[in-house]
Amino acid sequence: MTRASRKWALIFLAVPVSFYIVVVIYPLASSFYYSFTDWNGFSEQYNFVGLDNFERMKTDRLFRGALKNTLVWTVAAVVIPTSIGLLIALALHERGLLSRLYKSLFYLPICLSLVVIGQVWIWIYQPGFGLLNIVLEKIGLSEYTRAFLADPDTALESVIAAWSWQQVALAMVIFLAGLTAVPRELTEAAEIDGAGYWRTVRHVIIPLLRPASVIVIALSVINSLKSFDILYMMTRGGPFHSSDNLAMMMYNESFQKYRMGYGSAIAVVLFLITLVVIVVYFRQQRGLEQLYD
Amino acid sequence: MTEATHRFSIPANVSSASAHRTPLSARVKAAVFFVLLTALLIIYSLPSVGVILTSLKSNAEIGREGIWNLPDTVSLQNYRDAWVDGHAGKYLANSLKVTIPAAAISILFGVLTGYTLAKLPFRGSDTLFIFLVAGLFIPPQVVMIPLFRMFNRAGLYDTLWSMIIVHIGFGIPICTLVMKNFFATIPTAIREAAIIDGANELLVLVRVMLPLSLPSLAVLATLQFTWIWNDFLWPVIFTRSDDVRTVMFGLASLRGQYSVAYGTQSAMAIFASIPTLVIFVFFQKYFIRGLTLGSVKG
Repeated sequence: MTRASRKWALIFLAVPVSFYIVVVIYPLASSFYYSFTDWNGFSEQYNFVGLDNFERMKTDRLFRGALKNTLVWTVAAVVIPTSIGLLIALALHERGLLSRLYKSLFYLPICLSLVVIGQVWIWIYQPGFGLLNIVLEKIGLSEYTRAFLADPDTALESVIAAWSWQQVALAMVIFLAGLTAVPRELTEAAEIDGAGYWRTVRHVIIPLLRPASVIVIALSVINSLKSFDILYMMTRGGPFHSSDNLAMMMYNESFQKYRMGYGSAIAVVLFLITLVVIVVYFRQQRGLEQLYD
Repeated sequence: MTEATHRFSIPANVSSASAHRTPLSARVKAAVFFVLLTALLIIYSLPSVGVILTSLKSNAEIGREGIWNLPDTVSLQNYRDAWVDGHAGKYLANSLKVTIPAAAISILFGVLTGYTLAKLPFRGSDTLFIFLVAGLFIPPQVVMIPLFRMFNRAGLYDTLWSMIIVHIGFGIPICTLVMKNFFATIPTAIREAAIIDGANELLVLVRVMLPLSLPSLAVLATLQFTWIWNDFLWPVIFTRSDDVRTVMFGLASLRGQYSVAYGTQSAMAIFASIPTLVIFVFFQKYFIRGLTLGSVKG
């Protein structure tokens, strides 16, 4: 590279890279720093407390609940979008003109905000007007009707179901793109060999969809770890913190109770969990590259 | 329509031209499949339909009959209420003032980093690429507290600037990824020819590369606009006053204020969703391409 191009490279990178460091990387490092302090958010003075914030998590009932809920959410994020998203994608793949319209309607939730989605799903779960309760009533299951979001036994699951409504659409879009890359000859050959539709799906299509599946799982797990908007909208982690996840608890500790030190420690834990997911993801990706190159 | 004649054991399409040649049992199967799929679609669309129906009903009717049935009389009163009493106009303007600059600048930054990393590689540029893209995976909550402190000190708390800045920062990873991957596909010979003709890198980028990259810019524009527009976390953390409220925060706080005004809330939800719906309808191709990056080949 010539000297002139080197100069231009520096000019092009200077502002974006500095910006990124100041807004993303430096704060990330600061979070680690604050996690060892008892900073309250206002005062300029704070003390180093070593690992106290992390020690405290061990006995904090709220933290345990939030961690458990985060993991439940993660498991749901692995299972629900992949299975339902794949089924809908298979149903819509190569079905002619009408399926284009259907696809668009199934895509729709992706462009909606989780605030809007949370709002509508509140109306589905409501005790009086709620669609779910009306339906349960009508089909003779009235003993299951309840205020889904106000009941500690169902609050978290109800929010996860609402969240999945959008994630399923996202998974479907990605699977549909993956399906276009499945060679027609392979599925036809399997059919001619008498494999039948479901066996073709299982033994030919699903293995070929591995790259798409890895992306779907990684995306929805990472989205689940970040999820805050819809929880804030629907339950704020309640009732009695029964639907708190780590992101929600971190917000509560930091911006409601002004324990920024403890909040930062929770943020660090959230980051470490994400890091594990990323490492697994890149291992998978590398495995895939070897598979396809 | 070759797709329609594709022989899967679940028949492809009821209305296909070749339907008269397929046996009756296959046609029944196709019809059942179509009915089931339609039923699923209707159930799946109910939440969206619910908002639209509710927005067209009077509050009296909602109080009487709930929200999950067709309106007796269609009224646009809720839209008027959301606009006039709910300040929808102001909130929408605030959202635009955040979304447009943040999306534009993050894409500009992505063009600069993407071009440099793809066409002007240097020692360590691969590492820099990974460093820049890693931000994709950082949950925003992790940096919330330090940013809160930073904006407070800089006097940017409770301004639109705080949101613009943070969205640019968090947009850099995806914009870098998409633009670098795009520029990598353009033959280096094109750049070299322009350089030999006496152009500098800036001219190459603006005159030669940018015109070629319009589709990738469209992909990023639709993605960034949608994510930033729909964001709710940063307004909650960085703003307090009504004057700088974005439409998503406005919608969420409407719920707190009048928790029974379903009609107004749903009209506000529709106002808040129109911009991303417009993108979805008119630029779906680019939006979907952005969402499915990398899903075909690992």
